[in-house]
Amino acid sequence: MVAIQTENLTKNFGNLCAVDDLTLEADKEIFGLLGPNGSGKTTTVLMLTTLLAQTKGQAWICGYDTRKEPDKVRSSLSYVPQDMAIDTNLTGRENMMIFAKLYGIPHPRERIDELLGVMELSDRADDLAKTYSGGMRRRLELAEALVHEPEVIFLDEPTLGLDVGARKIIWEHIHALNRKGMTIFVTTHYMDEADRFCDRVGIINHGKIAALGKPSDLKTLLMKDVIAVTLEGDYHPIEEKTVLFVGQSDNVISFTAENGREALALLADALTRAGNKVKSMELREPSLDDVFLQSVGRQEESQGFEEWKYRMMLMRRS
Amino acid sequence: MEIPDDAHEEIMKGVFTYIERDFIRWIRYRVGVISSLVLPAAWLLFVGLALPVQFTGNYLDFITPGILVMTILTAGISSGSLLMFDKMLGFLNKFLAMPVPRESILISKILFITFRGIIQTSIILILATLIGASILNPLQYGMIYLILFLFGVFIAAFSTTVALYLDDHDSFAAFTAMVTMPLFFTSSALMPYEVMPDWLRMIAHVNPLSYAIDAIRDLGTGVIPVVPIGVLAVFAAVIVVISGYVFRKVTV
Repeated sequence: MVAIQTENLTKNFGNLCAVDDLTLEADKEIFGLLGPNGSGKTTTVLMLTTLLAQTKGQAWICGYDTRKEPDKVRSSLSYVPQDMAIDTNLTGRENMMIFAKLYGIPHPRERIDELLGVMELSDRADDLAKTYSGGMRRRLELAEALVHEPEVIFLDEPTLGLDVGARKIIWEHIHALNRKGMTIFVTTHYMDEADRFCDRVGIINHGKIAALGKPSDLKTLLMKDVIAVTLEGDYHPIEEKTVLFVGQSDNVISFTAENGREALALLADALTRAGNKVKSMELREPSLDDVFLQSVGRQEESQGFEEWKYRMMLMRRS
Repeated sequence: MEIPDDAHEEIMKGVFTYIERDFIRWIRYRVGVISSLVLPAAWLLFVGLALPVQFTGNYLDFITPGILVMTILTAGISSGSLLMFDKMLGFLNKFLAMPVPRESILISKILFITFRGIIQTSIILILATLIGASILNPLQYGMIYLILFLFGVFIAAFSTTVALYLDDHDSFAAFTAMVTMPLFFTSSALMPYEVMPDWLRMIAHVNPLSYAIDAIRDLGTGVIPVVPIGVLAVFAAVIVVISGYVFRKVTV
Protein backbone atom coordinates (compact mmCIF):
# COMPACT_ATOMS: atom_id res chain seq x y z
CA MET A 1 0.00 0.00 0.00
CA VAL A 2 1.43 3.34 -1.05
CA ALA A 3 1.06 6.10 1.54
CA ILE A 4 0.45 8.96 -0.88
CA GLN A 5 -0.60 8.53 -4.48
CA THR A 6 -2.09 10.93 -6.98
CA GLU A 7 -3.19 10.43 -10.54
CA ASN A 8 -3.77 13.35 -12.92
CA LEU A 9 -4.75 15.48 -9.94
CA THR A 10 -6.01 18.83 -11.27
CA LYS A 11 -7.51 21.87 -9.62
CA ASN A 12 -8.94 24.84 -11.46
CA PHE A 13 -10.05 28.04 -9.81
CA GLY A 14 -12.15 29.59 -12.55
CA ASN A 15 -9.78 30.07 -15.44
CA LEU A 16 -6.68 29.60 -13.33
CA CYS A 17 -5.19 26.14 -13.22
CA ALA A 18 -3.60 25.91 -9.77
CA VAL A 19 -2.56 22.28 -10.00
CA ASP A 20 -2.16 20.74 -13.41
CA ASP A 21 -2.31 16.99 -13.97
CA LEU A 22 -0.18 16.03 -10.98
CA THR A 23 0.85 12.39 -10.75
CA LEU A 24 3.18 11.33 -7.97
CA GLU A 25 3.79 8.81 -5.24
CA ALA A 26 5.45 8.98 -1.86
CA ASP A 27 5.92 6.13 0.57
CA LYS A 28 7.78 5.82 3.87
CA GLU A 29 10.01 8.71 2.93
CA ILE A 30 10.41 12.43 3.48
CA PHE A 31 9.00 13.96 0.33
CA GLY A 32 9.55 17.66 -0.26
CA LEU A 33 7.32 19.70 -2.52
CA LEU A 34 9.23 22.81 -3.57
CA GLY A 35 8.06 25.77 -5.56
CA PRO A 36 7.73 29.53 -5.63
CA ASN A 37 4.77 31.27 -4.00
CA GLY A 38 1.55 30.52 -5.81
CA SER A 39 2.94 27.47 -7.60
CA GLY A 40 0.26 25.15 -6.25
CA LYS A 41 2.01 23.62 -3.24
CA THR A 42 -0.64 24.47 -0.68
CA THR A 43 -3.47 23.66 -3.09
CA THR A 44 -1.94 20.21 -3.53
CA VAL A 45 -1.69 19.68 0.22
CA LEU A 46 -5.28 20.86 0.73
CA MET A 47 -6.53 18.35 -1.82
CA LEU A 48 -4.52 15.51 -0.27
CA THR A 49 -5.82 16.33 3.21
CA THR A 50 -9.50 16.35 2.06
CA LEU A 51 -9.85 20.09 2.60
CA LEU A 52 -10.40 20.87 -1.07
CA ALA A 53 -12.12 18.95 -3.84
CA GLN A 54 -10.14 18.45 -7.02
CA THR A 55 -11.52 19.35 -10.41
CA LYS A 56 -10.15 16.20 -12.02
CA GLY A 57 -8.06 13.16 -11.19
CA GLN A 58 -7.75 11.12 -8.04
CA ALA A 59 -5.70 10.93 -4.89
CA TRP A 60 -5.27 8.15 -2.35
CA ILE A 61 -3.88 8.22 1.17
CA CYS A 62 -2.94 4.74 2.41
CA GLY A 63 -5.11 3.34 -0.36
CA TYR A 64 -8.22 5.32 0.57
CA ASP A 65 -9.71 7.66 -2.01
CA THR A 66 -9.71 11.22 -0.66
CA ARG A 67 -13.17 11.91 -2.08
CA LYS A 68 -14.88 8.59 -1.49
CA GLU A 69 -13.53 7.66 1.93
CA PRO A 70 -12.59 10.98 3.52
CA ASP A 71 -13.07 9.73 7.10
CA LYS A 72 -10.58 6.90 6.63
CA VAL A 73 -8.18 9.33 4.95
CA ARG A 74 -8.49 11.75 7.86
CA SER A 75 -7.83 8.96 10.34
CA SER A 76 -4.62 8.05 8.54
CA LEU A 77 -3.12 11.52 8.34
CA SER A 78 -2.23 14.64 10.24
CA TYR A 79 -2.02 18.10 8.77
CA VAL A 80 0.05 20.90 10.23
CA PRO A 81 -0.67 24.14 8.33
CA GLN A 82 1.93 26.86 8.18
CA ASP A 83 -0.09 29.29 10.31
CA MET A 84 1.15 27.87 13.65
CA ALA A 85 -2.28 27.34 15.09
CA ILE A 86 -1.99 26.59 18.79
CA ASP A 87 -4.09 28.07 21.57
CA THR A 88 -1.66 30.35 23.34
CA ASN A 89 -3.90 30.82 26.39
CA LEU A 90 -3.89 27.09 26.99
CA THR A 91 -0.95 25.14 28.36
CA GLY A 92 0.93 22.71 26.14
CA ARG A 93 -0.74 19.81 27.89
CA GLU A 94 -4.23 21.34 27.49
CA ASN A 95 -3.59 21.91 23.80
CA MET A 96 -2.65 18.23 23.49
CA MET A 97 -5.69 17.12 25.49
CA ILE A 98 -8.08 18.83 23.06
CA PHE A 99 -6.52 16.89 20.20
CA ALA A 100 -6.45 13.60 22.11
CA LYS A 101 -10.16 13.99 22.92
CA LEU A 102 -11.08 14.94 19.38
CA TYR A 103 -9.30 11.85 18.07
CA GLY A 104 -10.82 9.73 20.86
CA ILE A 105 -7.52 8.30 22.11
CA PRO A 106 -8.04 5.50 24.69
CA HIS A 107 -5.44 6.54 27.31
CA PRO A 108 -4.92 10.22 26.58
CA ARG A 109 -2.85 11.14 29.66
CA GLU A 110 -0.19 8.49 29.08
CA ARG A 111 -0.07 9.19 25.37
CA ILE A 112 0.30 12.94 25.93
CA ASP A 113 3.09 12.47 28.50
CA GLU A 114 4.91 10.21 26.09
CA LEU A 115 4.64 12.61 23.15
CA LEU A 116 5.59 15.68 25.17
CA GLY A 117 8.66 13.69 26.19
CA VAL A 118 9.50 12.80 22.60
CA MET A 119 9.22 16.46 21.57
CA GLU A 120 11.29 17.55 24.60
CA LEU A 121 8.50 19.66 26.06
CA SER A 122 7.91 17.76 29.33
CA ASP A 123 9.37 20.38 31.64
CA ARG A 124 7.29 23.17 30.06
CA ALA A 125 4.09 21.15 29.55
CA ASP A 126 2.08 23.05 32.15
CA ASP A 127 3.11 26.55 31.08
CA LEU A 128 0.80 28.59 28.89
CA ALA A 129 1.76 28.16 25.25
CA LYS A 130 2.16 31.91 24.82
CA THR A 131 5.41 31.65 26.76
CA TYR A 132 6.79 29.14 24.22
CA SER A 133 9.36 30.05 21.59
CA GLY A 134 8.59 29.54 17.90
CA GLY A 135 10.48 26.26 17.84
CA MET A 136 8.64 24.96 20.89
CA ARG A 137 5.28 25.91 19.37
CA ARG A 138 6.17 23.94 16.27
CA ARG A 139 7.20 20.96 18.36
CA LEU A 140 3.91 21.18 20.23
CA GLU A 141 2.10 21.10 16.90
CA LEU A 142 4.10 18.04 15.88
CA ALA A 143 3.22 16.36 19.18
CA GLU A 144 -0.47 17.15 18.53
CA ALA A 145 -0.20 15.75 15.04
CA LEU A 146 1.22 12.47 16.39
CA VAL A 147 -1.46 11.87 18.97
CA HIS A 148 -3.40 9.31 16.88
CA GLU A 149 -0.30 7.68 15.38
CA PRO A 150 -0.96 8.68 11.78
CA GLU A 151 0.78 6.98 8.90
CA VAL A 152 1.20 10.17 6.91
CA ILE A 153 1.99 13.69 8.10
CA PHE A 154 1.61 16.81 5.97
CA LEU A 155 3.76 19.75 7.05
CA ASP A 156 3.28 23.08 5.33
CA GLU A 157 6.47 25.17 5.67
CA PRO A 158 7.45 23.58 8.99
CA THR A 159 10.54 25.72 9.56
CA LEU A 160 9.38 29.06 8.18
CA GLY A 161 10.38 31.94 10.43
CA LEU A 162 12.36 29.79 12.89
CA ASP A 163 15.98 30.42 13.81
CA VAL A 164 18.74 28.09 12.65
CA GLY A 165 18.91 26.07 15.84
CA ALA A 166 15.15 25.53 16.02
CA ARG A 167 15.04 24.50 12.36
CA LYS A 168 17.68 21.87 12.90
CA ILE A 169 15.77 20.40 15.85
CA ILE A 170 12.52 20.30 13.86
CA TRP A 171 14.23 18.47 11.02
CA GLU A 172 15.82 16.00 13.44
CA HIS A 173 12.36 15.19 14.77
CA ILE A 174 10.97 14.83 11.26
CA HIS A 175 13.83 12.48 10.47
CA ALA A 176 13.21 10.39 13.59
CA LEU A 177 9.51 10.03 12.71
CA ASN A 178 10.41 8.90 9.24
CA ARG A 179 12.77 6.25 10.65
CA LYS A 180 9.79 4.79 12.51
CA GLY A 181 8.09 4.25 9.16
CA MET A 182 6.01 7.39 8.83
CA THR A 183 5.59 9.09 5.46
CA ILE A 184 6.23 12.80 5.66
CA PHE A 185 5.11 15.27 3.02
CA VAL A 186 6.68 18.71 3.44
CA THR A 187 6.41 21.90 1.49
CA THR A 188 9.24 24.35 1.89
CA HIS A 189 10.97 27.40 0.47
CA TYR A 190 14.32 26.45 1.95
CA MET A 191 16.26 24.63 -0.74
CA ASP A 192 19.24 23.87 1.49
CA GLU A 193 16.95 22.12 3.97
CA ALA A 194 15.18 20.15 1.27
CA ASP A 195 18.59 19.19 -0.11
CA ARG A 196 19.82 17.89 3.23
CA PHE A 197 16.74 16.31 4.72
CA CYS A 198 14.34 15.17 1.98
CA ASP A 199 14.67 11.74 0.44
CA ARG A 200 12.96 12.91 -2.71
CA VAL A 201 11.76 16.28 -3.91
CA GLY A 202 9.32 17.49 -6.49
CA ILE A 203 9.71 20.97 -7.90
CA ILE A 204 6.38 22.46 -8.86
CA ASN A 205 5.83 25.54 -10.98
CA HIS A 206 2.54 26.89 -12.30
CA GLY A 207 0.91 23.74 -10.97
CA LYS A 208 3.11 21.38 -12.96
CA ILE A 209 5.94 19.15 -11.71
CA ALA A 210 9.11 20.53 -13.28
CA ALA A 211 11.56 18.08 -11.72
CA LEU A 212 11.14 15.00 -9.55
CA GLY A 213 13.68 12.76 -7.86
CA LYS A 214 16.41 12.49 -5.23
CA PRO A 215 18.15 15.81 -4.63
CA SER A 216 21.51 14.27 -5.52
CA ASP A 217 20.18 12.77 -8.76
CA LEU A 218 18.55 16.01 -9.79
CA LYS A 219 21.80 17.86 -9.27
CA THR A 220 24.01 15.47 -11.22
CA LEU A 221 21.46 14.83 -13.95
CA LEU A 222 20.85 18.44 -14.66
CA MET A 223 24.33 19.91 -14.38
CA LYS A 224 28.00 19.39 -13.58
CA ASP A 225 29.55 22.66 -12.48
CA VAL A 226 27.81 25.91 -11.77
CA ILE A 227 29.24 29.35 -12.45
CA ALA A 228 27.46 32.17 -10.69
CA VAL A 229 28.18 35.60 -12.16
CA THR A 230 27.36 38.81 -10.34
CA LEU A 231 26.69 41.63 -12.77
CA GLU A 232 26.53 45.33 -12.51
CA GLY A 233 23.54 46.54 -14.48
CA ASP A 234 21.27 44.52 -16.73
CA TYR A 235 22.06 41.17 -18.23
CA HIS A 236 22.59 41.05 -21.98
CA PRO A 237 22.20 37.48 -23.27
CA ILE A 238 25.27 35.73 -24.64
CA GLU A 239 25.97 33.00 -27.18
CA GLU A 240 28.50 30.53 -25.86
CA LYS A 241 28.34 26.79 -26.69
CA THR A 242 30.27 25.43 -23.69
CA VAL A 243 27.98 26.94 -21.08
CA LEU A 244 24.24 26.74 -20.49
CA PHE A 245 22.14 29.51 -19.03
CA VAL A 246 20.42 28.33 -15.84
CA GLY A 247 18.58 31.31 -14.53
CA GLN A 248 18.66 34.71 -12.96
CA SER A 249 17.84 35.85 -9.49
CA ASP A 250 18.40 39.54 -8.85
CA ASN A 251 21.70 40.45 -10.47
CA VAL A 252 23.21 36.98 -10.16
CA ILE A 253 23.19 34.96 -13.36
CA SER A 254 23.88 31.24 -13.14
CA PHE A 255 25.38 29.08 -15.87
CA THR A 256 26.25 25.44 -15.94
CA ALA A 257 29.14 23.80 -17.77
CA GLU A 258 30.66 20.33 -18.23
CA ASN A 259 34.02 21.63 -17.11
CA GLY A 260 33.69 24.76 -15.08
CA ARG A 261 37.38 25.63 -14.86
CA GLU A 262 37.78 25.75 -18.64
CA ALA A 263 34.49 27.51 -19.13
CA LEU A 264 35.32 30.35 -16.76
CA ALA A 265 37.57 32.25 -19.11
CA LEU A 266 35.37 31.65 -22.15
CA LEU A 267 32.33 32.81 -20.26
CA ALA A 268 34.04 35.95 -19.00
CA ASP A 269 35.00 36.84 -22.57
CA ALA A 270 31.55 36.17 -23.93
CA LEU A 271 29.92 38.26 -21.24
CA THR A 272 32.15 41.24 -21.84
CA ARG A 273 31.67 40.96 -25.61
CA ALA A 274 27.89 41.09 -25.16
CA GLY A 275 28.25 44.28 -23.15
CA ASN A 276 27.84 42.97 -19.61
CA LYS A 277 29.73 44.44 -16.71
CA VAL A 278 31.01 41.54 -14.61
CA LYS A 279 31.50 42.22 -10.93
CA SER A 280 32.53 38.76 -9.77
CA MET A 281 32.43 35.12 -10.81
CA GLU A 282 32.19 32.04 -8.67
CA LEU A 283 32.69 28.40 -9.55
CA ARG A 284 30.89 25.91 -7.33
CA GLU A 285 29.11 22.59 -7.08
CA PRO A 286 25.49 22.67 -8.10
CA SER A 287 22.97 23.08 -5.28
CA LEU A 288 19.25 22.39 -5.24
CA ASP A 289 18.85 26.14 -5.61
CA ASP A 290 20.33 25.88 -9.11
CA VAL A 291 18.08 22.98 -9.99
CA PHE A 292 15.15 25.00 -8.74
CA LEU A 293 16.18 28.06 -10.70
CA GLN A 294 16.59 26.04 -13.86
CA SER A 295 13.21 24.36 -13.42
CA VAL A 296 11.15 27.41 -12.64
CA GLY A 297 13.11 30.02 -14.57
CA ARG A 298 13.08 33.57 -13.46
CA GLN A 299 11.15 34.05 -10.25
CA GLU A 300 8.34 36.52 -10.15
CA GLU A 301 6.54 37.80 -7.11
CA SER A 302 3.25 36.01 -6.99
CA GLN A 303 0.14 38.07 -6.82
CA GLY A 304 -2.34 38.22 -3.99
CA PHE A 305 0.27 38.16 -1.28
CA GLU A 306 -1.54 38.65 1.99
CA GLU A 307 0.77 40.78 3.99
CA TRP A 308 -1.23 40.75 7.22
CA LYS A 309 -1.14 36.99 7.15
CA TYR A 310 2.61 36.93 6.76
CA ARG A 311 3.14 39.50 9.49
CA MET A 312 0.88 37.63 11.83
CA MET A 313 2.78 34.45 11.07
CA LEU A 314 6.10 36.03 11.92
CA MET A 315 4.64 37.60 15.05
CA ARG A 316 3.46 34.27 16.36
CA ARG A 317 6.84 32.72 15.84
CA SER A 318 8.85 35.21 17.84
CA MET B 1 -30.65 11.45 5.18
CA GLU B 2 -30.60 8.92 8.02
CA ILE B 3 -27.80 9.37 10.51
CA PRO B 4 -26.96 6.27 12.60
CA ASP B 5 -26.96 6.52 16.40
CA ASP B 6 -23.23 6.14 16.89
CA ALA B 7 -22.69 9.05 14.49
CA HIS B 8 -24.79 11.22 16.80
CA GLU B 9 -22.60 10.10 19.67
CA GLU B 10 -19.47 10.96 17.68
CA ILE B 11 -20.85 14.41 16.84
CA MET B 12 -21.66 15.13 20.48
CA LYS B 13 -18.21 14.01 21.66
CA GLY B 14 -16.65 16.46 19.23
CA VAL B 15 -19.11 19.19 20.21
CA PHE B 16 -18.20 18.86 23.90
CA THR B 17 -14.48 19.03 23.23
CA TYR B 18 -14.79 22.07 20.98
CA ILE B 19 -17.01 23.81 23.57
CA GLU B 20 -14.47 22.98 26.28
CA ARG B 21 -11.75 24.61 24.18
CA ASP B 22 -13.75 27.78 23.54
CA PHE B 23 -14.83 27.95 27.17
CA ILE B 24 -11.28 27.76 28.58
CA ARG B 25 -10.16 30.37 26.08
CA TRP B 26 -13.04 32.64 27.07
CA ILE B 27 -12.56 32.52 30.84
CA ARG B 28 -8.80 33.02 30.51
CA TYR B 29 -9.46 36.17 28.50
CA ARG B 30 -10.73 38.11 31.51
CA VAL B 31 -11.08 41.50 29.85
CA GLY B 32 -13.44 39.92 27.35
CA VAL B 33 -15.60 38.42 30.08
CA ILE B 34 -15.96 41.75 31.85
CA SER B 35 -16.44 43.85 28.74
CA SER B 36 -19.22 41.59 27.50
CA LEU B 37 -21.15 42.48 30.67
CA VAL B 38 -20.45 46.19 30.82
CA LEU B 39 -22.54 47.25 27.84
CA PRO B 40 -25.85 45.58 28.81
CA ALA B 41 -25.36 46.59 32.46
CA ALA B 42 -24.83 50.18 31.38
CA TRP B 43 -28.00 50.07 29.29
CA LEU B 44 -29.94 48.67 32.15
CA LEU B 45 -28.70 51.28 34.63
CA PHE B 46 -28.74 54.36 32.43
CA VAL B 47 -31.79 53.69 30.35
CA GLY B 48 -33.75 51.72 32.93
CA LEU B 49 -33.13 53.97 35.90
CA ALA B 50 -31.79 57.29 34.77
CA LEU B 51 -33.80 58.11 31.66
CA PRO B 52 -36.73 60.36 32.57
CA VAL B 53 -39.29 58.51 30.44
CA GLN B 54 -42.57 57.14 31.64
CA PHE B 55 -44.21 55.03 28.95
CA THR B 56 -45.44 52.50 31.47
CA GLY B 57 -45.81 52.03 35.18
CA ASN B 58 -42.51 50.35 35.94
CA TYR B 59 -40.12 51.25 33.13
CA LEU B 60 -37.48 48.85 34.50
CA ASP B 61 -39.90 45.96 34.06
CA PHE B 62 -40.54 47.22 30.56
CA ILE B 63 -36.90 47.69 29.57
CA THR B 64 -35.45 44.51 31.14
CA PRO B 65 -36.77 42.12 28.44
CA GLY B 66 -35.27 44.43 25.81
CA ILE B 67 -31.89 44.48 27.53
CA LEU B 68 -31.94 40.69 27.99
CA VAL B 69 -32.59 40.16 24.30
CA MET B 70 -29.98 42.76 23.39
CA THR B 71 -27.44 40.92 25.55
CA ILE B 72 -28.09 37.66 23.79
CA LEU B 73 -28.05 39.47 20.44
CA THR B 74 -24.58 40.99 20.95
CA ALA B 75 -23.35 37.69 22.41
CA GLY B 76 -24.81 35.65 19.57
CA ILE B 77 -23.64 37.86 16.75
CA SER B 78 -20.04 37.26 17.89
CA SER B 79 -20.46 33.55 17.13
CA GLY B 80 -19.29 34.15 13.60
CA SER B 81 -16.30 36.02 14.92
CA LEU B 82 -15.22 32.92 16.80
CA LEU B 83 -15.42 30.84 13.64
CA MET B 84 -13.79 33.60 11.61
CA PHE B 85 -10.75 33.61 13.88
CA ASP B 86 -10.48 29.84 13.75
CA LYS B 87 -10.56 30.13 9.98
CA MET B 88 -8.02 32.96 9.76
CA LEU B 89 -5.56 31.47 12.24
CA GLY B 90 -5.48 28.01 10.67
CA PHE B 91 -7.37 26.12 13.38
CA LEU B 92 -10.33 25.37 11.14
CA ASN B 93 -8.18 23.59 8.56
CA LYS B 94 -6.60 21.49 11.30
CA PHE B 95 -9.99 20.53 12.68
CA LEU B 96 -11.45 19.84 9.24
CA ALA B 97 -8.59 17.42 8.52
CA MET B 98 -9.62 15.30 11.52
CA PRO B 99 -11.96 12.32 11.46
CA VAL B 100 -14.34 14.02 13.95
CA PRO B 101 -17.66 14.73 12.20
CA ARG B 102 -17.29 18.22 10.78
CA GLU B 103 -20.76 19.34 11.81
CA SER B 104 -19.61 19.26 15.43
CA ILE B 105 -17.50 22.37 14.81
CA LEU B 106 -20.55 24.34 13.73
CA ILE B 107 -22.86 22.98 16.42
CA SER B 108 -20.26 23.65 19.11
CA LYS B 109 -19.90 27.29 18.11
CA ILE B 110 -23.66 27.89 18.11
CA LEU B 111 -24.18 26.12 21.44
CA PHE B 112 -21.18 27.67 23.16
CA ILE B 113 -22.14 31.19 22.15
CA THR B 114 -25.75 30.66 23.20
CA PHE B 115 -24.58 29.20 26.51
CA ARG B 116 -22.25 32.16 27.02
CA GLY B 117 -25.07 34.57 26.24
CA ILE B 118 -27.28 32.76 28.77
CA ILE B 119 -24.63 33.29 31.47
CA GLN B 120 -24.47 36.98 30.61
CA THR B 121 -28.25 37.39 30.60
CA SER B 122 -28.45 35.65 33.98
CA ILE B 123 -26.19 38.30 35.44
CA ILE B 124 -28.31 41.02 33.84
CA LEU B 125 -31.46 39.41 35.20
CA ILE B 126 -30.02 39.31 38.72
CA LEU B 127 -28.89 42.92 38.39
CA ALA B 128 -32.33 44.02 37.18
CA THR B 129 -34.02 42.28 40.10
CA LEU B 130 -31.61 43.93 42.53
CA ILE B 131 -32.43 47.41 41.27
CA GLY B 132 -36.14 46.90 41.37
CA ALA B 133 -37.58 44.73 38.59
CA SER B 134 -40.50 42.54 39.65
CA ILE B 135 -39.77 39.01 40.80
CA LEU B 136 -41.45 36.30 38.70
CA ASN B 137 -42.31 32.68 39.43
CA PRO B 138 -39.99 29.78 38.47
CA LEU B 139 -42.07 28.77 35.46
CA GLN B 140 -41.86 32.29 34.09
CA TYR B 141 -38.08 32.31 34.55
CA GLY B 142 -37.88 28.94 32.84
CA MET B 143 -39.85 30.27 29.88
CA ILE B 144 -37.62 33.36 29.70
CA TYR B 145 -34.60 31.09 29.41
CA LEU B 146 -36.29 29.03 26.73
CA ILE B 147 -37.03 32.16 24.70
CA LEU B 148 -33.50 33.48 25.16
CA PHE B 149 -32.04 30.11 24.19
CA LEU B 150 -34.09 29.88 20.98
CA PHE B 151 -33.28 33.46 20.06
CA GLY B 152 -29.58 32.86 20.87
CA VAL B 153 -29.44 29.82 18.60
CA PHE B 154 -31.19 31.80 15.87
CA ILE B 155 -28.71 34.71 16.02
CA ALA B 156 -25.61 32.54 16.52
CA ALA B 157 -26.47 30.35 13.53
CA PHE B 158 -27.19 33.41 11.41
CA SER B 159 -23.89 35.05 12.34
CA THR B 160 -21.94 31.83 11.74
CA THR B 161 -23.47 31.47 8.30
CA VAL B 162 -22.43 35.00 7.36
CA ALA B 163 -18.91 34.39 8.71
CA LEU B 164 -18.58 31.35 6.47
CA TYR B 165 -19.12 33.55 3.44
CA LEU B 166 -16.89 36.47 4.43
CA ASP B 167 -13.12 36.33 4.03
CA ASP B 168 -11.68 38.48 6.76
CA HIS B 169 -12.48 39.75 10.18
CA ASP B 170 -12.74 43.40 9.19
CA SER B 171 -15.71 42.79 6.94
CA PHE B 172 -17.27 40.65 9.62
CA ALA B 173 -16.85 43.40 12.23
CA ALA B 174 -18.46 45.83 9.78
CA PHE B 175 -21.32 43.40 9.33
CA THR B 176 -21.98 43.04 13.06
CA ALA B 177 -21.86 46.80 13.60
CA MET B 178 -24.28 47.24 10.74
CA VAL B 179 -26.73 44.67 12.08
CA THR B 180 -26.72 44.97 15.86
CA MET B 181 -27.66 48.55 16.63
CA PRO B 182 -30.27 49.09 13.88
CA LEU B 183 -31.93 45.81 14.88
CA PHE B 184 -32.05 46.95 18.48
CA PHE B 185 -33.39 50.42 17.80
CA THR B 186 -36.05 49.25 15.39
CA SER B 187 -37.37 46.67 17.84
CA SER B 188 -39.87 47.08 20.64
CA ALA B 189 -37.03 47.11 23.17
CA LEU B 190 -37.15 50.76 24.21
CA MET B 191 -40.75 51.83 23.76
CA PRO B 192 -44.20 50.31 23.44
CA TYR B 193 -45.78 50.09 19.98
CA GLU B 194 -48.40 52.69 20.91
CA VAL B 195 -45.89 55.54 21.20
CA MET B 196 -43.87 54.62 18.08
CA PRO B 197 -44.17 56.61 14.86
CA ASP B 198 -46.03 54.62 12.18
CA TRP B 199 -42.99 53.74 10.10
CA LEU B 200 -41.13 52.44 13.16
CA ARG B 201 -44.11 50.42 14.30
CA MET B 202 -44.19 48.61 10.97
CA ILE B 203 -40.52 47.71 11.13
CA ALA B 204 -40.72 46.80 14.81
CA HIS B 205 -43.50 44.31 14.13
CA VAL B 206 -41.40 42.29 11.68
CA ASN B 207 -38.15 42.63 13.61
CA PRO B 208 -37.21 39.19 15.02
CA LEU B 209 -35.93 40.93 18.14
CA SER B 210 -39.45 42.15 18.90
CA TYR B 211 -40.75 38.56 18.84
CA ALA B 212 -38.41 37.58 21.64
CA ILE B 213 -38.91 40.81 23.58
CA ASP B 214 -42.71 40.75 23.33
CA ALA B 215 -42.77 37.10 24.35
CA ILE B 216 -40.80 37.87 27.51
CA ARG B 217 -43.07 40.84 28.25
CA ASP B 218 -46.15 38.66 27.81
CA LEU B 219 -44.70 36.32 30.43
CA GLY B 220 -44.50 39.24 32.86
CA THR B 221 -48.21 39.87 32.45
CA GLY B 222 -49.04 36.22 33.10
CA VAL B 223 -49.62 35.11 29.47
CA ILE B 224 -47.82 32.02 28.15
CA PRO B 225 -46.59 33.13 24.69
CA VAL B 226 -47.03 29.86 22.83
CA VAL B 227 -47.16 31.34 19.34
CA PRO B 228 -44.05 33.58 19.58
CA ILE B 229 -42.08 30.69 21.11
CA GLY B 230 -43.23 28.47 18.26
CA VAL B 231 -42.24 31.08 15.69
CA LEU B 232 -38.82 31.52 17.29
CA ALA B 233 -38.29 27.76 17.37
CA VAL B 234 -39.13 27.48 13.68
CA PHE B 235 -36.84 30.40 12.79
CA ALA B 236 -33.99 28.92 14.82
CA ALA B 237 -34.42 25.51 13.22
CA VAL B 238 -34.53 26.92 9.69
CA ILE B 239 -31.38 29.03 10.17
CA VAL B 240 -29.51 26.10 11.75
CA VAL B 241 -30.36 23.92 8.76
CA ILE B 242 -29.26 26.66 6.33
CA SER B 243 -26.08 27.17 8.32
CA GLY B 244 -25.32 23.44 8.20
CA TYR B 245 -25.89 23.40 4.47
CA VAL B 246 -23.59 26.40 3.86
CA PHE B 247 -20.98 24.92 6.16
CA ARG B 248 -20.94 21.67 4.23
CA LYS B 249 -20.77 23.56 0.95
CA VAL B 250 -17.79 25.75 1.87
CA THR B 251 -15.80 22.97 3.50
CA VAL B 252 -15.95 20.37 0.74
